[in-house]
Amino acid sequence: MSVLLEVENLAKHYPVRNGAILARQVGLVRAVDGVSFTLNRGETLALVGESGCGKSTTARLVLRLIEPTTGAVKFKGTDITTLDGATLKGFRRNAQIVFQDPYASLNPRYTVGQTISEPMEVHNIGDAASRKARVEELLKLVGLAPYHAQRYGHEFSGGQRQRIGIARALAVEPDLVVCDEPVSALDVSIQAQVVNLLRDLQRRLGLAYLFIAHDLAVVKHVADRIAVMYLGRIVEIGEKRALFSNPRHPYTRALLAAIPHPDPSRKGRVTPLGGDVPSPMNIPPGCRFHTRCPFAQDICRQQDPVLKNGVACHLADELPPAGVDFAGGLAPNAAKRLALYAEAAART
Amino acid sequence: MSDTTLDATTAPAAPRRPSALRMLLRDFGGTVSLVLVILIVVLAILAPWLAPHDPFATDLMAVMEPPSSRYWFGTDGQGRDIFSRMLFGLRVTLGMGLLSLVVGGVIGAVVGFCAAYYRRIDGLLMRLMDMLLSFPAILFGLALAAIFGPGLTAVIIALSIATIPLMARIVRSSALVVMGLDYIEAARAIGMNDFRLIFRHLAPNCLSSVFVFSTLRLGQVILLGSALSFLGLGAQPPTAELGAMAAQGRNFLFIAPHISVIPSLGIFVIVLAFNLLGDALRDALDPRLRI
Repeated sequence: MSVLLEVENLAKHYPVRNGAILARQVGLVRAVDGVSFTLNRGETLALVGESGCGKSTTARLVLRLIEPTTGAVKFKGTDITTLDGATLKGFRRNAQIVFQDPYASLNPRYTVGQTISEPMEVHNIGDAASRKARVEELLKLVGLAPYHAQRYGHEFSGGQRQRIGIARALAVEPDLVVCDEPVSALDVSIQAQVVNLLRDLQRRLGLAYLFIAHDLAVVKHVADRIAVMYLGRIVEIGEKRALFSNPRHPYTRALLAAIPHPDPSRKGRVTPLGGDVPSPMNIPPGCRFHTRCPFAQDICRQQDPVLKNGVACHLADELPPAGVDFAGGLAPNAAKRLALYAEAAART
Repeated sequence: MSDTTLDATTAPAAPRRPSALRMLLRDFGGTVSLVLVILIVVLAILAPWLAPHDPFATDLMAVMEPPSSRYWFGTDGQGRDIFSRMLFGLRVTLGMGLLSLVVGGVIGAVVGFCAAYYRRIDGLLMRLMDMLLSFPAILFGLALAAIFGPGLTAVIIALSIATIPLMARIVRSSALVVMGLDYIEAARAIGMNDFRLIFRHLAPNCLSSVFVFSTLRLGQVILLGSALSFLGLGAQPPTAELGAMAAQGRNFLFIAPHISVIPSLGIFVIVLAFNLLGDALRDALDPRLRI
């Protein structure tokens, strides 16, 4: 498998200023703080983590919708952080995004047809007639009907709107689609349909997904590899199976253990994380997780661990085995949802 | 509600959507205001043919006469026919109001969109607008009258300048809201140029506040223009202008109220018609309300 996307030491820092005229910098929000990963063609890498850990910022940096503070994003070997004009436009043709909120992601004054054909217009693909044909083809591809092209976004349900957003992203035949929590605003049953659609499209079109999510059940269903983020940095990255069966970073363990569980007898087997995520304006020295880590030692308070063999933890090799049997199965409700996904997949 | 794959062959054809004009006419206020606005414009255009009297001819035998069959709206202090003067005054008032609204509104909207879209120059642009905002329109009128000499040109420029910062603020604030929405980000991810993004995605979604503001502002501009005329800076006598006519009648308010009241009612009807039309247009142009 060839590498499609290579992210190296990517960072986005937002200065916090006070005062209007003679603004003084009073702080620095380190939203993304040194993230590196690779994404192969046709692969799905899931980026998971709590709210505010920098997942979405990373997604926007990868598409260069915001400018990075430092770092490089290499797409097919070219660093896109230095592109401009026509070359940047060329990149945009190859990388698209699907948004979380299907109600905010469609221009209310556009018909569905306009929404889907606009990317082709912008990139001068085909003529009016062939674009129209392509819109109908795309609508069918995402499970809508050609006649929907004349309707407006507000006439559709959330799941249908998400399909329209996916069709728009696919209009320019990209190699990379960044999915920014594409299903977290949808009902569970609709989630299954959209997730399965994404998987189906990946198989048929060879797409690579950078899949942002905080729902581990969805991630388990779609991802090939998973990267766990905490406070702007990847703390663990690895194959889905390995990460679920043998989580090595204490934070990953806590995340997996936090999957809700209706069985009261399991209570107490996992200690939930205490405290809150520290502010990205004030990231703790040493390991950024040490303030909440049940295993923290002196070294954790002093030295910032580097990502090595897929995990950024000083104690990764010394920790006791994970207390929960993650390999055996997810919490029953998560398992139930997975079954639901599989069932929906079988139907289509 | 099911979200499953729809079958194209059995699906019903999409219903034909009513046009914006149909939507406008479906609304009672929209119909009334459209008819009124068309009527006002036609009256202004056809003034020379419709006016029963010469708007400047004085009839000293019939000074300050109340409405009668000969002088429909009565005569003013110099014995001029108020109806004829109002028809001609409509041209001046409408031209002055609409022109300054369009000029000031367009410049203000461009400034507002630039401030919202190019955040680097936001502070600079908005401080400039604040400077403009700190001068009353009357002061601009005085300054411009000093430069160009009193007349309609000075009034139109003054009112345009006074409209710029207001429109800029309105447009900037609604554009900032729209800028935060995902479809703007999607538009950027598609790789379109700024021009297309602003005109196809940003501006159309700011239309409703622009419409509301414009129609309110038209009334204000007409009244401000009248105030400037009243101060002797705007339309110069004997030019007929509705505000100036209302102002001229103030000395006779107790003896012959119709001299002020009738032109004022004219202004009222114009402002009301444009306000209603603006509201109705805003709704008619919104695809979310078009069913």
